[in-house]
Amino acid sequence: MSKKYSRLTVLGAVLAIMLVAPVAADEIFPYAVHEHELGNGFRVVTVPYDSPGTLSYILIVRTGSREEVEPGHSGFAHFFEHMMFRGTEKYSKDEYNDVVKRMGADTNGFTSDDRTVYYIVGPSAELETMMDIESDRFINLTYTEDDFKREALAVLGEYNKNISSPFLPLFERVRELAFTKHTYGHTTMGYLDDIKAMPSYYEYSLGFFNRFYRPENVILLVVGDADPARVNELAERYYGEWEAGYQAAKIPAEPAQAAPKSSHIDWGGPIAPHLMIGYRTPAFSESTVETATLDIISQLLFSESAPLYKKLVVDEQWVDQLFGSYNDHRDPYLFLVFARLKSADLLPEVEAAMGEAIADLKQNPVDAERLERIKSNLRYTFAMGLDSPQSVALTISNFLVLTGNPQSVNRVYEQYQKVTAEDVQRIVREVFVDSGKSSVTLSFPEPAPAAAGG
Amino acid sequence: MRRSIAVLALVGLFGFSCSGAPESAIETVTLASPESPLVALRLMFRTGSIHDPKGKEGLAALTGLMVGEAGTAQRGYSDLIDQLYPMAAAIDVVTDREVTLISGEIHREKLDEYAALLQEVVLEPGFGESDFTRNKEQLKTYLTTTLRASNDELLGLETLQQVLFAGHPYAHAPEGTVAGLDAITLDDVKAFYRDHYTQANLMLGVAGGYPEGFLDSLVSNLSKLPAGVSGTDELPAPPAVDGRDFTIVEKPTGSVGIHFGYPIAINRAHPDYFPLMVANSFLGEHRTFHGRLMQQLRGKRGLNYGDYSYIEFYFAPPFTDTPTPNVPRRQQYFSVWVRPVVPNTAHFALRNAIYEVERLIEQGMTQDEFELTRDYLVNYSKLWAQTLPDRLGFLMDSQFYGTDYFIDEIDQRLKSLTLEEVNAAIANYIQADSFQAVLVTAGAGEVQAYLEADQPSPMPYNAPPEADVAAEDKNIEGLPVNPDSFTIVAVDKMFQGGS
Repeated sequence: MSKKYSRLTVLGAVLAIMLVAPVAADEIFPYAVHEHELGNGFRVVTVPYDSPGTLSYILIVRTGSREEVEPGHSGFAHFFEHMMFRGTEKYSKDEYNDVVKRMGADTNGFTSDDRTVYYIVGPSAELETMMDIESDRFINLTYTEDDFKREALAVLGEYNKNISSPFLPLFERVRELAFTKHTYGHTTMGYLDDIKAMPSYYEYSLGFFNRFYRPENVILLVVGDADPARVNELAERYYGEWEAGYQAAKIPAEPAQAAPKSSHIDWGGPIAPHLMIGYRTPAFSESTVETATLDIISQLLFSESAPLYKKLVVDEQWVDQLFGSYNDHRDPYLFLVFARLKSADLLPEVEAAMGEAIADLKQNPVDAERLERIKSNLRYTFAMGLDSPQSVALTISNFLVLTGNPQSVNRVYEQYQKVTAEDVQRIVREVFVDSGKSSVTLSFPEPAPAAAGG
Repeated sequence: MRRSIAVLALVGLFGFSCSGAPESAIETVTLASPESPLVALRLMFRTGSIHDPKGKEGLAALTGLMVGEAGTAQRGYSDLIDQLYPMAAAIDVVTDREVTLISGEIHREKLDEYAALLQEVVLEPGFGESDFTRNKEQLKTYLTTTLRASNDELLGLETLQQVLFAGHPYAHAPEGTVAGLDAITLDDVKAFYRDHYTQANLMLGVAGGYPEGFLDSLVSNLSKLPAGVSGTDELPAPPAVDGRDFTIVEKPTGSVGIHFGYPIAINRAHPDYFPLMVANSFLGEHRTFHGRLMQQLRGKRGLNYGDYSYIEFYFAPPFTDTPTPNVPRRQQYFSVWVRPVVPNTAHFALRNAIYEVERLIEQGMTQDEFELTRDYLVNYSKLWAQTLPDRLGFLMDSQFYGTDYFIDEIDQRLKSLTLEEVNAAIANYIQADSFQAVLVTAGAGEVQAYLEADQPSPMPYNAPPEADVAAEDKNIEGLPVNPDSFTIVAVDKMFQGGS
């Protein structure tokens, strides 16, 4: 029942998504949002929040592994996130770390398909220091080729830490199956061969910085104990000179999938069998009902309250972990389903039960009360999630990545209100089709029975 | 100049109290925040895997799940989920070595409904056969699939604890052993619940925007638990660590995870904890670039993703950036965690980590290093308690250890610390000549062979290091590892239990 990390749901934590799925009256987001744009296209969003003395300072680069269009460069956006901590002429790597340490701040970055995000959570009295060190590295990053090569080893280390989990190979495979042209075909981590080749891409990395780390492609979000006028004034001072020049990558469109695809992975040791399925979905949209409906479908089919969950996990106990989610993306992506099975011979039953649950939603309109219970769950989940400046900031940053508009949080909420039983039925029929399905199984191959005789 | 976050004395913003409510043996910790729309509820029972009977390892954890993740006398588990679902509420259960935490958060609009369900779960567990099978399998799968086959880092972190506390009540994972779980009957669970889920064992924490009278009513209802006997079981001393003993967990994997450590004699209740905290932060603050281990192994040499050190148990370090409350333990350990490295750098990485610990022992900290690290921790620790449940959790832990509110205590103790006290703590508590080490790797025999041979292991760089790093490497690559013993364990024997 845990929604957070618990020891027993380690794998589930990887798939867990932050559901920002509001369904209350009026505008769901309870805080005022202040926006300001500099002459070079750099945008500043400030959300005052009652966290005396503390704020979250987040820089959102609207570039992630989605932009890795050149062959052999999977994983590069994430690698570049590492390089952003290598220093400048003004603040070397060590000096940058000392400044952060002196503030007593928490700082880090993360990369996913559509974004690279850098954050500092720290004292609001240090706002100007944050402006100084962050604008400096975004405008003046410098590193040597040797620095670059050494950091590539750390990225390889990160791959190594992840690859002992079956999730990375499952994700790699399901994306490979589902996407033949679009860059969502590879993971943000990237392929091992590409990571190993990274040390030779120094020149490419300079171009990467030049193309994507530009003011029109980056948004500053400040949430917490901050005065919007002061934030804007400091932003003008520290980011105003940053030269525009963003060059958008040309992302290849993915053609329609014509037939189901499947694949299997042999694991190196005994393990409970895993099943991952991706169904092709439309991109995130705040102007149509699709995104909101798919979030509701994920609850209808795969939440703990879903009949399928009760059957597979609670009653039959064929599965001990079950997750399914629509995932907000800028381009059409996947509804992902994951199940960990008790044994491989239960796979046909588990797949049949999933098929029946989907067929049921296609044939029978969901009853109004169930729809309301889901909307209630989503409303409380949202309200309870806004419990610190950082959680508010990450919520809003998601919408800044997807649309560039912080008000999207409220627009999506309006869509939730509109979702009807007919929408659910229509979209299940459109999305959960065999021709849009890619499934991957992972298990330990049973040793072949010993040959008779001899 | 010291900068400070204005949320100094975070708890001071709230009314808080720790007491035993009248007419109940239940200890309560409250943190009233009338404006908050949320309420956090935390029930910490002083019962954990140290209370598992021999041969029934996992009984405390399974009982925890049979309380929090199972049906009640009034309703099945599915019905319970259905009741919680529209409120977006959950009942979370974590069993550690000394305590079991049953907790949740709720919007105050739904507090009464939620509290009623939480009380029902704790007071009237259903102990159904089907829930029993499901929860037992869940624990076994955690041991056999998650630990053995899905996460080399958790595997190494748990193995180190088992090696450090061999023969001690801390020796097995809170989730138990496969054989222990197999041996547990439903009657065992019922008896364990009856004996351990008592008023005397319960610390009740309530925080947030709860109405007047709520606490009294909750305490009154929970006082239907048996009174129980107050007092805490004595723990034996951890086994002595003498020399450098290596345990190699052999499994098919492409990397090598490295851990080493030893039990230490102090916990948060001891005044030396705070100078040691500063020294440890300097050596390896969790998930930051501020520790020497991280700067030297990752920053300068690119050995791996991260390198940290600890002076107490840290919950789920691969998934958490700051300490998680409500896993208190009376006995603690020092440890170094070198995240997975590629096999041809493992020998160097182990030496580099040992080198940094030895360097700290030999050189201590300078005045500048001390001041920077102390000031950093004073502010950074405030970020550990940003949410209501975290503040409440740390407050309850402070009650467990018999101290003031941990986050405030860090502030107060650190501000009056001196460099001499920190260097004395290093001298008294940090050691490198004796430790237990755990390596998670393929080819255990080969790893043992090169460690025994103890030949120089130059770092295979893909780009020449800076001159000062290259010079230091000369001291590291030949640093004697001097292993005293080796134990090789196949991964499928880990967590098996039985004879």
